[in-house]
Parts: sequence; structure tokens; C-alpha cells
Amino acid sequence: MTAVAAPGLREQHRALVRCLRLLDLRRGRLAWAVTAGSLGLGSAVALIAASGWLIARASQMPPVLDLSVAVVSVRAFGISRALFRYLERLASHDVALSGMGALRERLYSTLAAGRADAVVGLRRGDVLTRTGADVDAVGDLVVRALLPAAVTAVVGLGSVVLVAVFLPAAAVVLAACLLGAGVLSPWLTARAARRAEVALADERAELSATALTLVDSAGELQVSGRTTTLLAAVSRTDARLAVQADRAARPAAWAAALNLAAMGAAVVGALLLGVPATTAGTLAAVELAVVVLVPLAAFEATSMLPAAAVQLVRSGAAAVRVTALLDAAQPDGTPSAGSPSVGVAETSGAPSTLGARGVACGWPGGPVVLEGVDVELRPGRAVAVVGASGVGKTTLLLTLAGLLEPRAGSVRVGGRDPWPLDRATVSETVVLTAEDAHVFDTTVLENLRVARGDVTPDEARAALVAAGLGPWLAGLPDGVETRLSTDATTVSGGERRRLLLARALLSPAPVLLLDEPAEHLDAAAADALVTDLLETGRGDRGVLLVTHRLSALGAADEVLVLGHDGDSLADADAPPATGGPGAGPARVVARGTHADLVARLPAYAWALAQEDTGVVDVGPSARPTVLPPDVRTDQR
Amino acid sequence: MLLTAGLGLATAVVVIAQAWLLGNATAPVVEGRATLADVLPLVGGLAVAFGLRALLVGVQERYAHRAATRVVAELRIGVLEKAVGLGPRWLAEGNAASTTTLVTRGLDSLEPYFVRYLPQLLLAVTVTPVVLLVIAGLDLLAAGTILFTLPLIPVFMILVGRLTQRYADERLVVMQRLGTQLLDLLAGLATLKALGRERGPGRRVRELGEAYRRTTMQTLRVAFLSGAILELLATLSVALVAVGIGLRLVFGELDLTTGLVVLVLAPEAYLPLRQVGAHFHASADGVAAAQEAFGVLEEDEQPRGRVPAPDLRTSTVSFEGVGVRAPGRDRWAPADLSGTVRPGRVVALAGPSGAGKSTAAAVLLGLVRPDRGRVVVRPASGAGVDLAEIDPRTWWDQVAWVPQRPALLPASVLANVLGADAPAGAVDEQVRRAATLTGFDEVVASLPQGWATPLGHGGVGLSVGQRQRLALTRALLGSQQLVLLDEPTAHLDAASEARVADAVRTLARAGRTVLVVAHRRAVLDLADDVLDVVPLDQAEPSAVTA
Repeated sequence: MTAVAAPGLREQHRALVRCLRLLDLRRGRLAWAVTAGSLGLGSAVALIAASGWLIARASQMPPVLDLSVAVVSVRAFGISRALFRYLERLASHDVALSGMGALRERLYSTLAAGRADAVVGLRRGDVLTRTGADVDAVGDLVVRALLPAAVTAVVGLGSVVLVAVFLPAAAVVLAACLLGAGVLSPWLTARAARRAEVALADERAELSATALTLVDSAGELQVSGRTTTLLAAVSRTDARLAVQADRAARPAAWAAALNLAAMGAAVVGALLLGVPATTAGTLAAVELAVVVLVPLAAFEATSMLPAAAVQLVRSGAAAVRVTALLDAAQPDGTPSAGSPSVGVAETSGAPSTLGARGVACGWPGGPVVLEGVDVELRPGRAVAVVGASGVGKTTLLLTLAGLLEPRAGSVRVGGRDPWPLDRATVSETVVLTAEDAHVFDTTVLENLRVARGDVTPDEARAALVAAGLGPWLAGLPDGVETRLSTDATTVSGGERRRLLLARALLSPAPVLLLDEPAEHLDAAAADALVTDLLETGRGDRGVLLVTHRLSALGAADEVLVLGHDGDSLADADAPPATGGPGAGPARVVARGTHADLVARLPAYAWALAQEDTGVVDVGPSARPTVLPPDVRTDQR
Repeated sequence: MLLTAGLGLATAVVVIAQAWLLGNATAPVVEGRATLADVLPLVGGLAVAFGLRALLVGVQERYAHRAATRVVAELRIGVLEKAVGLGPRWLAEGNAASTTTLVTRGLDSLEPYFVRYLPQLLLAVTVTPVVLLVIAGLDLLAAGTILFTLPLIPVFMILVGRLTQRYADERLVVMQRLGTQLLDLLAGLATLKALGRERGPGRRVRELGEAYRRTTMQTLRVAFLSGAILELLATLSVALVAVGIGLRLVFGELDLTTGLVVLVLAPEAYLPLRQVGAHFHASADGVAAAQEAFGVLEEDEQPRGRVPAPDLRTSTVSFEGVGVRAPGRDRWAPADLSGTVRPGRVVALAGPSGAGKSTAAAVLLGLVRPDRGRVVVRPASGAGVDLAEIDPRTWWDQVAWVPQRPALLPASVLANVLGADAPAGAVDEQVRRAATLTGFDEVVASLPQGWATPLGHGGVGLSVGQRQRLALTRALLGSQQLVLLDEPTAHLDAASEARVADAVRTLARAGRTVLVVAHRRAVLDLADDVLDVVPLDQAEPSAVTA
């Protein structure tokens, strides 16, 4: 192994062992798979051994009856080979599939019970989507690596024993050759695979990035005549990929050649030892055929091992990612959500209020992005939070919802700290609808029932109409029973936002936290929606919404402006990572009513003036209707 | 490919030599006619044959992938080139994602096709017939058995495949659906947590996993059948050949040497076919990827104009009733745009968001053909030319475009501003001045290595506003007559916006024509002329505009 790969290797092995334990393989089933596999491949060896014996014996022209056992066994082995192979494939896949099911379930329950911040963070970058493929790769280990290895061991041993019965010396040669092919050639292949994986990953990532740029900015690149530059970059990357693939092919070639060379050595060895033994009379003439022919079939077992080695490398990498995910979600330090929720009787505040005092927030391990935030929310109150993108609005929402641990200060939901609290308990009071909240691959109704399990179809329809989805609902083939797919083929950006909104409104929680509810809507629709939502807060609900549009904020009881000193509101540039003037935590730079801020804060007034007036000609379908009171007060 | 074919033939020869040597070295000893000394040359030959076969396999493994890598690289470039040529509209029609997937992952499945499947297919048409011929020369009856069973393999495989196809397809759909749902629950975990409902689906994950296993097993039971048939026919045939030889040996119809040679050769006749079956899936994926690639390559490109573009310093460019239908919707954006862009003037395309301002700009760039109306370029003297007839290269040479999300090339900041052939090192005064004017100097100052900072993949990313300032700097430094700015201030605050306005003024002072897409007052105030872009929600625009 190269020095670079060595530490990763140990880590991979540890991760693999751990994942294998989580697969919770059914031992009986696995043993059956190995048995069937061994019987299948063993049949191939037995077939050639029996055929060799049959032919050699037949040449001595014995009575035909002497051959009947051999004839029957040859035919039987001809059939059993395929039969057992079929059974083995079924058994091994069955074991792997149930193992993968167990691993998935374990992963889900660990993530569900684990640190909320880990899960919320994972959604970004679609780590979870990749996890599906990783679980499959770990499962493939059983079918494509472990089983072939076990079968090879059994059949190899069996072949050696078979030869040893006739000629022990030849058995020693066979054993040595099998070991050489069975250990050295997979080792070489694994090395090549690992090298390729490490070297190719970077090049592939670069290739994807360049291809993406080409496709995304095709027009611009064409106009500026830079297409050729990028295509040349793709060609260069491809050339480097070719060099890497070529380098990785060398050990793979050695591995393949080695297996055949070992087979040759075993056959030649058997002849060199067997012929004198036959001449000397220590080996029966008929048995010489068996001793010489068995190696021809035995090496079919070792020929499966290089592919198994490649799978081992692949599964190892996947296992590392899976265990890393499990570790990230381990509820270390925090009381596990699985433990009974603490202090049910403790209610030092009204049960339906959300309060924050001097809260600082940030992702674990990252910088504090926002500090010193005080918010008070109770039914009947509507608060808006505005600020440049990247200032920490979403982080604040996650902290208030108890999904991130506050870095300083305190959050109280119904008088209790939500962070260590059971999620189900927190959500009786506060629910959050994130900007990237998930639309599940199920029916519209089931998607709404995510908020509350007993939503009736009528309630669902009312909520959808209220969220401005009436015409959309009318166009669905099966109404609320229509299945939604997660890709955007059935749901547009704006429709998705409204669907999430309907879901939030159906939740029984009295306090709603909404992240950019009007994103993807045009100006007029956005303002109408935000106004509606803020009006909702006048009923028996409290609403806190994060937005980047100011026009409709007149309906809010209070507007919090987040930012750094000296920042202007609309400056969406200057990501804090570059260490620009925006470095350091943001804070509440101003708060008050909309009218108050317009009068007092020039930057606020300027940003407001830049917005579309909202007098935009949009289709009638795009404008949400005013939420009817029955939905606003729909709680239980 | 030639290499693979040559290797195939060589393999056939070696396989036959190997069997012949093995038979001739063993049989006389079994019959008690020879000692080690007699057969030693044959054993030596056998060792050489095995060595050669190992060498052939090694060479195949070592070099077979080269052709594959070459083909994949060629297809990749071809597809990308074509996709770019087909233009933003084709890409926007849902082709962007599939193209990216095809060129990054899809085409890679061609490699197993070339490296595994094709060589085995070649062996099946070289080794199998040659081996069969040799067997026929030795023992006609055995050859007959093999010849009879060989065609049964594809026939049975196709038959079983046909019979089970529909069942398997149905199961496959269910299987994929269950698989997606499982992933979906994992992907939605954050949302479930936000709503406090993450506990319930735990059981659902188990049920889905169990259902997935059951359905998959149902599919596999059927899917593995064709493989089993292949295996059964191949091994059973070998067994039948062996029994046949044995029985004829008893009656002295055959000698042992021939019997052994045929016994060793028989499996070799089936081996390539079995391998073809084993790599069948690799072939299916590879063929699918290749078909997809050729589908893109055969896509019809709009014919490009051939007339050289008139000199934009003296020509006017007019929209004449330009309408573009929004893909898949009854909406025209723009609906009926008319207006003229005169040289040296600052012209604004104004209108609410979604009105089709950017689309109008794309029409002017020649990237989108209008569904209605046309863009005409009129030189100072002479007849006007429809933009569709103009050679795009000569047109684009005179146009600089700052889109809403300018692309970053994987190169240094300076190379991104000046082009790939930018001299490394010193940044000249002109570049500095342009950067100061657009405010890009502040961006450069915040970067770790200033102008030499690598951008793009593996380098530093820039925000959209920063990219726009970069592209504006590039436009300022260029010499194109027409500069098209798409919402250059959408991501900027008041101070930065003022700078962009200064840059536009500088461009105008230099006599360049500026077409700016904007809805903010500060930018609209700069314009000499304003073209109002109006959309229309209707299937046909003529009804209203007539």
C-alpha cells in the first residue's frame, strides 16, 4: 500500500466491520448461501474430476456397469452446478437485502433520535441521497465480496483435499498455487482499485464542474467565444483520467495473468509429480487424470476474487461515509430524544409562547453568525426578520425551533428549553417550515398529514385553496390523492412554497416559524402572501417569518433588521468566508414597526424603494386568495 | 479493437494447444505406455502454453481499456459541443440535467461495455468456432453434441427473457418506487424533525425495507432464471460430452488422448458465451448510454446564418414585433416587442419581472429564435439583414454580454477577466482602472492571492454580484461595440449601484452601445431610450395586438 492510502485503509476496515455488524446478517441464511455457492462451484470441480476418472477408466475397457456410478455422477454434477448457483444467488441477495434494510432502519432511527443539528445540516448537499447508494454498496459487500471469498475458501480447500486423497505432494503444489492466486491477485487488484479511486475522484469532480459550467452558461460562453477554452479543459481532464486509468490497469493486468499462471503451475506441477508416481505405481493410472484435471476447474474460484477485491474497496469507502454519518448524529452530550422528555410539569411561562433572550447562534463547529437576539412571540403577534442573505436569518429560525443549540443566551418554548426537549413535545408549540423543506414522494394529502396525522381530505382541500393552490388542485388528476414526485415535474417552485405553507397552516402548533415563504413568487403574489401570513398572527397564532422583501411588512407588529454595523440592507455580497468587512457576528441593528423603520432607517427606506411596486401583471392563477378564517383558526 | 480481435485469435490457438498438450502428456502415462522422460517435452510445452495464455489475458487487461477511454473522451467532447451548439433554449427544455448526467456518469458505463463485454463477444465468435472445428476434427459426435446445444443457449435465454420480461418490468417499477420512497424518508428527515414527526416513519422504513426485499426477490427469482439456463446448458452439455466419450472409449471407438483433449476443450467452447451472459448488464447500460449520446449528437441544430454581420458601430438593431412563447405555457414573454437600438446610445429594456426582458436579450444575442417577428440589423447604407441570416461568430465578435449569473472558468481571476491567454504576473494599469471603475478591485482585494487567485472548481467561489462585477470589468476592457448588461445591479446596494452607473457612462462616453436590462430607477435614469417589455398570457398574441 502506498503511504497515502494506508491510514484510510485501517479506517475503512474498521468502518466495514462496524457496518457489517449493523447489517445484522441472518446467519442461517448466510450459511446456506455459502453452502449452496460451494456446492455449485464444487460441482464444477467434481464434474471435471468425475469426467476425467470416467474417461480414464473407460479407456481400460471395463464392463460398462463399472462405469454406471461415474456416468450418473457426471450427469448429476452437470445439473447441480447450475441449480446450486441459482439457489446461492437467491440466498445471498436475500441476505444482503434484509441486511441493507436493517442498516437503513438503523441509520434512520439513529438520525431521527440523534442531534437535530446534524440532520438539519445534512440536508444540505444531499448527503442523505448519496447515503442510499452507500447503503447499497455496503450490502453489495455480502454478495460480491464476502460470499465469493467464502466459497473460494471452501472449494479451494475441497479441491486440495480431493487431490490429497490421491497424491499429497500434488495437493501441496495445488494449495500453494491457489494461495498465490487467491491472495496475491486480489491484493494487486485492490491496490489498483484504491489507487484509481483516490486519483480519479478529483479528476471526476473537476470534469463534472467543467461540464456543469459549460451546460449552465452555454450561451454566455458561446457569445464570448470561450467554449473552446472549456472544451479544451475537458479534454485535458479526460487525458489525465486516461493516464490514471492506464496506471491502474497495470496491477489489474498482473492480477489476471497471475491467476492463469498459477493454474498452469498447478497443472504442470501435478503432471511432474503425478507421472513418475503413476510409473512407480504409487498413483493409480486412472487417478492421474483426476489429479491433473482438477486444477483446471479449481481456479475458477480464485478468478472471482479480483472483482471481490474491487467491491471491498468500494464498500469500504461507502462504509466510512455511513459510519461518519452515524457518528455525526450520535446524541453525545445532549439528552437523547429517545429518553423521556424532562420536566413535564415545569411550566414557568404560558404554554404557547416562544421567547429568546440574548441568543447567539451558529452551526456547531462554525463561527457564531448572529448574537444578542431578543424575540418574544405569542399567539396574536406577528414578527418579521429581515437582513442580507447570509446574515444568519435561517440559523436564527433553526435555533428558535430547537433544532440548533443556542451558542449563548436562552430560548424558551412554553417556558422550557427546546434544545434538549423531545421533538414531538417542542412541535406541540412551535413548528418550522424551512426554505428547503421536503415534499415527500407520496400523495398531496399524505404530504399535508406530515404536519398533523388526522388531516381530513376536506381540511386538506381548504388549506390548499387558502394557500392559493385552488386552480392547481383543480388541475390534479386525483385531487388530494394525486401522487407528487420529488423532482419538479409536477410541482413548480411557487406551488411548492404554497404547498409547504398549507402544511404549516395545518399544523396544530400555535407558533409558526416560516423561512422565506414568498420565495419563487412574483412581487405581487409575494406581498399578498406575506400580508396574509402576518394577518394570521392576529388570530390565535403567533407568526415569525424571515423574508428579504420589505414591501408587505406593514402588517407585522415588529420588524427585526439583522446586519453588521455599517452594512446596508441589500448588500447580499461579501460572503463572510472571504473575511471582508462583514466578518464577525451580526446582530439586530434596528427593530420597530415598518413605518417606524422607514422613517428612521435610510438603508431600510432605500431598500424598500428598490423593490418592485408589486403592480405586476400576473395571471389570475398566480395570486393567492386571502386565507379564510376557518384555516387560520384550524387547530386542535 | 484490432488488438482485441488479434488477442481473440491467439487465445483460440493457445487454448487448443493447451488441450492437445495436456491430452497427449497424460493419456500415454495412464495407458502405461510412457514415463516422465517421454512426456517431458510435452509438459514443457504445456508450461509455455499456460504462460502464453496468462500473457494474453494480461495484455488484454492492460490495454483493452485504452480504446474505451478514447471513445468515452471523444463522445464526451462531442456531446458537450453539440449541447452548447443547441443553445440555452434546448438546454432549458429539461435537457441540461440529463446532458450533465450523461457526460459525467452515463458515458462511463461504456467502459465496462468496451473492456468486459465486447472482448468476450469477440472471443465468442473466434474461440468458440475454432474450438468447435478442432473438436469436429477429433470426434464428430462430441462436436455434434456441442453444435446442437450451443444454439439452444441464446434460444432459451431469449425465450425465458421474453416470458419473464413483463413480470420483471412490473416488479422493477415497484422496486424503484419503493427504493425512492425509502430514500425520500431519509431525505425528508430534517423536515420531519422540524415538525416533530420524525418518530412515526421509523416503522415505515422497516416496512418499506421489507417490501423492497420481497419485491426485489420476486424480480431476482425470475431474472436469475436466464442465467441459470445458460449455466445449466453449458455444464450439462459438457457432462453429456464426457459421458459420450466415456461410453465410446469402453467400446474402443475412441482413443484416450482424443477423449482427454475433447474433454478439456469442450468447456472452452462455452466459456466465452457464459462470460457474455455474465457481462450482459454492463452491455445494456453501455448501449443505453451510447444511444443517449447519439440521440444528442443527431439532434437538429438550427441552421446558422452565413452573412457576415454588418459593422455595429454604424448599424442600428431593431426588434420588429418580437414574440417568444414561454415553453410549455400559454404565455408570451415578450409578446410583441418593437424598438431600435442605435449605435452609441444607452438603451434600457424595462418591465416587470417575468415580462421577458432576459429573453429579449437572448433573442438579440441570437441565442433564441423568436417565435414571432424578427431582429433586423441595418447598416448605415444598404439593406437590413435578418439576424437569423447572420453568421453568429461575426455577430458575437461585436457583442459583450454580462448575464445575470456570469460563468467562472477554472483559471485565475486575471485569466477570467482577460481570457485564457492572459500573461501571468503583472496586472497592467488599464485592468486596474477598469476594476476600480466597476468596484471589482474591492473583490480582488478580499481574495487570498489577489489577481492570481484561482477560481472555479477547487478554487475560490464568487457570489453572483461579485461575478457580475468581474464580467462587467471584462466588458469594459473589451472592444465589442454592443455591450449587453442583464440586471447588473440586482444584487448591489446603493453605493455599488452608483459605480455600475459610472461604468455604463464610461462605456457610453467611449462611443459603445449599451443595452441594459433593468427595473431599478438608478439604471433606468441613465438610459437614452427605454424599450418597454410586455408579456401576454394567451395562447396566440395576435388576438390582442392586432
